[in-house]
Amino acid sequence: MSTKHAEAANRFIENKERETWHNETLWFVREKRDRMAMDVPEWEQLRELAGKIKMHTITHLDTYARQFAEKAEANGVIVHWAKDAEEHNEIIFKILTDHGAKKLVKSKSMLAEECELNPYLIKRGIDAVESDLGERILQLKNEPPSHIVLPAIHLTRQQVGKLFEEKLHTEKGNSDPTYLTHAARQHLRNEFLTADASMTGCNFAVADTGEVVVCTNEGNADMGTSLAKLHIVTMGIEKIVPNHKALSIYTRLLARSATGQPTTTYTSHYRKARSEDAEMHIVIVDNGRSEILGNDEHIQALKCIRCGACMNTCPVYRRSGGYSYTYFIPGPIGINLGMLKAPEEYYDNVSACSLCYSCNNVCPVKIDLADQIYRWRQNLDLLGRADKMKKIMSDGMKFLFVHPSLYNAALNVDTVVNHLPRFMIYNGLNDWGKGREMPVFAKESFTSMWKKGKVKKSKK
Amino acid sequence: MSSKEDILNSIKRHTRAQYDMPDLDTLEGIQYPDKTQQFIEISKGVGGDALLLDGDINQLIRTLYPEAKTIASNLPEITIATTNPDNVDDPHSLNGTDLAIVEGEIGVAENGCVWIPQNVKQKVIYFIAEYLVIVLDRNKIVNNMHEAYAKLDLGDKRFGVFISGPSKTADIEQALVVGAHGARGVTVVLR
Repeated sequence: MSTKHAEAANRFIENKERETWHNETLWFVREKRDRMAMDVPEWEQLRELAGKIKMHTITHLDTYARQFAEKAEANGVIVHWAKDAEEHNEIIFKILTDHGAKKLVKSKSMLAEECELNPYLIKRGIDAVESDLGERILQLKNEPPSHIVLPAIHLTRQQVGKLFEEKLHTEKGNSDPTYLTHAARQHLRNEFLTADASMTGCNFAVADTGEVVVCTNEGNADMGTSLAKLHIVTMGIEKIVPNHKALSIYTRLLARSATGQPTTTYTSHYRKARSEDAEMHIVIVDNGRSEILGNDEHIQALKCIRCGACMNTCPVYRRSGGYSYTYFIPGPIGINLGMLKAPEEYYDNVSACSLCYSCNNVCPVKIDLADQIYRWRQNLDLLGRADKMKKIMSDGMKFLFVHPSLYNAALNVDTVVNHLPRFMIYNGLNDWGKGREMPVFAKESFTSMWKKGKVKKSKK
Repeated sequence: MSSKEDILNSIKRHTRAQYDMPDLDTLEGIQYPDKTQQFIEISKGVGGDALLLDGDINQLIRTLYPEAKTIASNLPEITIATTNPDNVDDPHSLNGTDLAIVEGEIGVAENGCVWIPQNVKQKVIYFIAEYLVIVLDRNKIVNNMHEAYAKLDLGDKRFGVFISGPSKTADIEQALVVGAHGARGVTVVLR
């Protein structure tokens, strides 16, 4: 029985050259992250503290959320609360219509993706324009992101060149990234200048100042919010940090972990609307987050700062691509967030993990990502979603292991496999024989060697 | 009941074990023997530049950006400015600015960040100009972000930003391109 992830991954790896490029490019980002981390002597202490501050904040979230909202309101910001995606979308649409806004320029927000805001707004006549280059490419192509930080990592420059030829009327056959980026700069500059409203996500919300902090390399969040008179922020309630002192730790971890940069180009702190005659709104969203607080085994997923480091390091993600996962956030964190959202819908992804634990070791806030995936797998049977073939095999192995004489007999005949014709070993029935050579069984078992006294202590 | 109360009640209902805030004072951020030198090196590393002012600032900027025609600045010592962004009512009209010259308050040696609390009327000038010069007191460079946040105070200001180098993207095949939406080049002038 093959999962949806495995099937989609099969399609991804059909293009060997592309698979290799994807794997090596993301590994290169992981290596850049390592170099950055090694340049900071207190790196591990930062990770430890970052994880602990988040655990403290999310387990005192009612206090901090209240404090953040009060401070923001005192700053003159209009604060809204949305229980779910639907309410989130309704609120944003209402703010826009109240202002007669027709064109909304957006900077990247995974929460807006989660709530499927764009289709909601577009259906209602709002021109919602993505302004992050990667997100804009995907919007023009009508595709979802395949990575949370590098959204268009699955596309080649030729694909982007062709798309821009058609949509932005760039030169035929020119797929030079500098040329294409500058063409997009011009195109989006015009969108910024003609937008009625701007929207940003939120990397961090500071409880004791009411500020919203947004990190970008492109400067798109700032272009949008410095021009339009209306700024709407959409934020998950778990984005809150207590104060600037805590924030200083995350600003050191985020970009180093995400892209291997010492910082993002812009770390913007929005406290009030851009001018007296402008408005700033913040929509604080729950959408299932408060329930995760009661889930001891998975509460740590709420610590996530969406850096994407777990994806870049994941051997399965690197070799299967973001579209192989059925939840909109892929990789280790996406496997867990999908299961928290709807296990019966997203259980296919839990197989997309070799339990190598690399994600645990790079996560800047020390989420127990792999442990969580392991726990989901243990509970698959309760969902009625355990792999039937694996269940038969593990029952068989259990029988073998509790009957020593049978186990030994099986060991004695295993070398027979070495002499079987290839077609009997490498066929559709043996998953371990796909895409790799099987190991050769040893002529004699360790137990047998031990009993015959063949195992000698090494003499030093 | 309002959604606000619903959400806060749901948080209360689901919260189980509570964790203490860790002691952040145990943390010692990275220190550099020569903060200024480190700041200059990292500024180049992030695709920007930083240099020590020696002589006339207007002359220096002219040499650095000889082709700049529309120059926006509200700094009194910048005599080459053609526009003062404080006298502009509509930020859109600043589109087409070749060069903006602004003042920074804190430099950060570990990552080349310069803290700019909103000190112009139209903050768009930090982002919309083709090139950006940030003037910074060389004695105001700190080692790391902890020291920077301990010093900064937004007070009543609407906005503040750390800027480190030029606007950039690698969204097409991870190829680094400078000049995505904001400044195509940034020079920090240390005076």
